[in-house]
Amino acid sequence: MSDDIKSAHASDAEPTATSSSEPLWNVLIVVVIVVTLGLLFFGGVYFDRHGGWFNPKVYPPYTSLDKLEAFQPKSGAEAAAAQGKKVYEAVCGICHGVDGMGKPGQAPPLAGSEWVLAKSVNRLAHIPLAGLAGAVTVEGKEWNMNMAAMGAGLSDADLSAVLTYMRTSWGNKAGEVTADDIKKIRDSMGGHPQPMSGDQLKSMPE
Amino acid sequence: MKTGFSVFLAAFVALGASWFGLVYAPLEQLGRAQQTVILHSTDAWPPQRTGDVTLGLQVYRASGCVACHTMQVRQTGVANEIALTDLKDHPATDFKEFLNSLLIAPPLDACSNVILANLEHWDGKVPVTLYSGDDGAVVAALADKLKPAGVKTATGVLASGSDLARGWGLRQSVAADYLYDQPVQLGNLRAGPDLSLIGVRAPDLNRHLQHLYAPKSLVKDSTMPAFRFLFEVRKKVDGQPSPDALVLPPEFAPAAGLEVVPTAEARHLAAYLVSLQASAPLYEAPFTPVTAAK
Amino acid sequence: MNQSGNNTAGANEIDTSCRVPLLALFGGAALWLVLGLALGFAAAMSFHAPDLFADCSCLTFGHAQAAANDLLLYGFVLPAALGVVLWIFARLSQAPLALPIVPVVAANLWHLGVLIGTVAILMGDSTGHAWLEYPRESAVLLFAAFLLIAVSAVATMGLRANRDLYPSHWFLFAALLWFAWSYSTANLFLLSAHPPRGVVQAIIGWWFANNMLFVGLALLGIGIAFYFLPKFLGRPLPGADYILFAFLTLVFFGTWCGVPQGAPVPAWLPAVSAFAAMLSLLPVLVVAIVLWKIGRGAGVKCFGGPLCFIKFGILSFLVTGFLYLIGFCPSASRVLDFTWFGFGLSQWQLLGFMGMILLGAIYEILPRIMHRDLPFPKLAQVSYFCFAGGVLVYVLPLMIGGVVQGVKLGDPSVPFADVSAVVLLFFRASSLGQVGLLVGALFLLLNVLVLTVQWKLGLLKLVIAAVKAPLSVPACAPASTSNSAPLSTSGEVKS
Repeated sequence: MSDDIKSAHASDAEPTATSSSEPLWNVLIVVVIVVTLGLLFFGGVYFDRHGGWFNPKVYPPYTSLDKLEAFQPKSGAEAAAAQGKKVYEAVCGICHGVDGMGKPGQAPPLAGSEWVLAKSVNRLAHIPLAGLAGAVTVEGKEWNMNMAAMGAGLSDADLSAVLTYMRTSWGNKAGEVTADDIKKIRDSMGGHPQPMSGDQLKSMPE
Repeated sequence: MKTGFSVFLAAFVALGASWFGLVYAPLEQLGRAQQTVILHSTDAWPPQRTGDVTLGLQVYRASGCVACHTMQVRQTGVANEIALTDLKDHPATDFKEFLNSLLIAPPLDACSNVILANLEHWDGKVPVTLYSGDDGAVVAALADKLKPAGVKTATGVLASGSDLARGWGLRQSVAADYLYDQPVQLGNLRAGPDLSLIGVRAPDLNRHLQHLYAPKSLVKDSTMPAFRFLFEVRKKVDGQPSPDALVLPPEFAPAAGLEVVPTAEARHLAAYLVSLQASAPLYEAPFTPVTAAK
Repeated sequence: MNQSGNNTAGANEIDTSCRVPLLALFGGAALWLVLGLALGFAAAMSFHAPDLFADCSCLTFGHAQAAANDLLLYGFVLPAALGVVLWIFARLSQAPLALPIVPVVAANLWHLGVLIGTVAILMGDSTGHAWLEYPRESAVLLFAAFLLIAVSAVATMGLRANRDLYPSHWFLFAALLWFAWSYSTANLFLLSAHPPRGVVQAIIGWWFANNMLFVGLALLGIGIAFYFLPKFLGRPLPGADYILFAFLTLVFFGTWCGVPQGAPVPAWLPAVSAFAAMLSLLPVLVVAIVLWKIGRGAGVKCFGGPLCFIKFGILSFLVTGFLYLIGFCPSASRVLDFTWFGFGLSQWQLLGFMGMILLGAIYEILPRIMHRDLPFPKLAQVSYFCFAGGVLVYVLPLMIGGVVQGVKLGDPSVPFADVSAVVLLFFRASSLGQVGLLVGALFLLLNVLVLTVQWKLGLLKLVIAAVKAPLSVPACAPASTSNSAPLSTSGEVKS
């Protein structure tokens, strides 16, 4: 471009490449190899911690499926079932058994009981709300014990959760009971309901 | 490298490996995705799109909106939270004492200093966050123990991040959100705000039409170009404005006797924008929809 | 710069064989460079006067910026780079260009494809995928043209008498495979009748953008720079084993980067990209070491000549490569993503790194293949300062503004309108740089056009002279080869 001899003027010979031979270069190559290995190691650690191990459901900031599971919010239905189980084991399970099989001479079974599985909950709900006195037939056997109104002190939500738990556990498959159902039944019962017998229950509408 | 073949081989293996890992593997993992369900529900996600929304996506693509707007929200954190929402006439000091008594037993004792720190400067007003962190068991235990005390609490999972704090999303965007986008327009630059939740932030079609015609009429000093070519300025029929004419402030309205009417393209684009409502929780992006208040 | 005195006859022949293909490629590239920069300027106008193109859909930001980006990549960088590759391969093989008609046809197909693609984007037919906005027809033309040029390049490489490969061979040969595979994959998947559903499209788009803008351009730029630097500095290229290491790490690790952190894809994809980005710092580091070694104590001044362009370009590679790779660190990406930083970085890669290297190469190659000096050598020198200054004034405010934007966006209490207002100041500064770039590009176009016209005029003069010359009828004597002086038809004009 300019006439200055020192200015850049591409030579016409083709360029050649040489390998390095100075000691500095040999030291540098060791450094470079060490750095490479270090990066490979730390990269591997990083992938292990943040990669979610190729799981398609794991997105950052979650780093593994376990972490994702830990943050799943509880749904309404799950929470009610958990609550129902808790209340059952605290209040009813002592007599009726944690497994719902009942205890001979103490309480009839709930698993497979036609009272529990009935389509409408009207008769079932009266039992914990009013109590039982007198004979009642459960699964072909007669039980003649007294049951206090164990559900009278429970809230609508808790009682409905317990009854739902009974109707969906131990092989029972029946519909859920809502707090509104319990409220309606409670309101219809009036002030101080007397314990009922099996015949009295059967005379009530379904 | 002595021969051309060895150079070719090295390049082929290198590019082949990344093709396998970044093209083929994601294709296998995500390419045959189907609709998923919203968390704790049987509703499908993403919802099927109506015709004008699909056409609107094509207008979005053709206009190059992706050059300035992103459609992906990022999340940097998540927490299990419990907040006190109603003291139900109990004095705040009583509550604090009661809470102190609860924090002695496991599993709450491990997080007692965190919970107490949250309440250190509490002015007694509700709602107040009692605990916000990783441990779901603490939240469940605290909710359990506080229930018989007669106060109301709210628990939930809260997603957090600067995008979410700006109201641009309720949780991060995930692959399921883009199932029906053809083409996917994630965006690379935020010269304008993110649009994933614009249908929730601005559900009014007319607002979008007005913004497209004259952005400055809604956002002062907006740098968004006006898209007047998507509209038609025509004479009013019998001096009466037609039902879909835009209502504009005086500085932006056309001359007297004229009205601004959106073309079909503008209407499709507005319908598409209103449909952008990535607000449903999913398994891979969980959050409690009505979250614990701060 | 008159080369005829020093050249061997072989070099003359090689240069001449490249003349028409390279003129076709470079001429189109210079034109598209000017058009791309002009469209980019029009796009920037949208921010300074948002209502300027309110009634004209073609030039609104979304259309103009997409068209400008693609013009810079497919219209300028790729054809110019392929032309330089052809010439370098011919020179290194010390053989004339193989199949010289093939690249000429290819260049025309290529420029036709770019024209169709640009018009399509401006008319609203963009595909919506970043860096792949050209529609199917255009993509097919570009790919076919590329294959033709690659055939000629590989054939030329195969003609070499000395079977040893020079380091530039590795980079440039790999670059040919890189473009062919990544471009065809991306277009086959994304522009097909049944593209993959959902976010896979974005993943393929990121894979392509990384392999094109980072690895592909790095291979081309380093290959070209490592050819010219030893020639200009008059010393051999040192550290061939280091360069081999850099080549292998670049191709094996660099290709896995691309997926941004925090993207709406399963966590393993951004984690793999972050891992790869860490390792891809190695080739950048090693190239820096080699450059330091070759440049140390060279004492060569360039005064705005081709060496200046190439030095600026390869230094830009070091800076942009480093900045690109640290953008994959999660804490950096939280600030830098979705800001003008990424946009400024890609413009620096296209214009500051590849653009400068290619301009230097073009200014060096043109006089050699045309066997005449540049018509406006002083303008070429001035264009260095216009272009270098323009690039820095264009990208640096964008990148600084991007960092400011990212910091402010990360603070939810700052309203979005305030963020936009602050960024606008930086944006206004950067538009001044675009003016400088446009001036520099116009000087290049002027040089190329006038050189072509001069050459064609020279050819025309020869034709006229041949027509006007009296017919020489030899007497009935045996033609003696030592006496005859055949009319020269190679069009060489010695000034």
